[in-house]
Amino acid sequence: MKEFEFLIGDPLGIHARPAGQLVKLVQEFESEATMTLMRNGKSASLKRLLAVMGLGAKGGDRVRIEVSGKDEEAAARGIERWLAEHLG
Amino acid sequence: MNWWKKDKGGKKRPGGEEMLSSPLAGEVVPLETLRDETFAGGILGTGVGVIPAAGVLCAPIDGRVDQTFETGHAITLVSEGGAEILLHVGMDTVELGGKHFELLVESGDRVRAGQELIRFDREAIARAGYELATPMVITNSQEYHISVVAKGRVMSGDPLLKLTRR
Repeated sequence: MKEFEFLIGDPLGIHARPAGQLVKLVQEFESEATMTLMRNGKSASLKRLLAVMGLGAKGGDRVRIEVSGKDEEAAARGIERWLAEHLG
Repeated sequence: MNWWKKDKGGKKRPGGEEMLSSPLAGEVVPLETLRDETFAGGILGTGVGVIPAAGVLCAPIDGRVDQTFETGHAITLVSEGGAEILLHVGMDTVELGGKHFELLVESGDRVRAGQELIRFDREAIARAGYELATPMVITNSQEYHISVVAKGRVMSGDPLLKLTRR
């Protein structure tokens, strides 16, 4: 399993558009990935749009990403890069 | 005519078919014409857009409120048949931070087709420089065949999106 933490910089947080783009990216990988909101411990599969939107992650929130599966290395790298580019 | 063949929006029907009614009075537009590429490209799911002629967003089908947002500009519902529905009033309206929106339901609430979910001030949102086009997309659309059954002007409650289980 690969895991890392990320601090959301974008004040709007993970609303519909970024959630959709992130889920689309993660669905391209075979691995399962979850995002946990550190503030309340809620977690969501990064392959389920409603779950990701439902986290309500805001700017200033810290999240933990866990990725496991055959292509976890590439998936974790891809997610980390996407987060840094779009929500950092 | 059999009762279940009557073309009525907002209800689950036999045979894995669900009919979503228009959540707004307004004009139906294809999703692809929306300015936000995430909606236009179907990244959030397949669906349709409505340009609102009035500032009331209603439930398109019987179901449960999945998620509301402090900003009041969007809501997600799960129908009794399991369709996951995202309604998003306007484009980029998350930036308004809740201004001009009034949320009338809470996450977990059971709702009936036609029930008011969100009220919004159309003119104020337009004045603030935002487009009002409102997509209704099925976020688990890979589970369905989806077709738009209305065009042009619709009333809130008119049949709009037909879902058939794959």
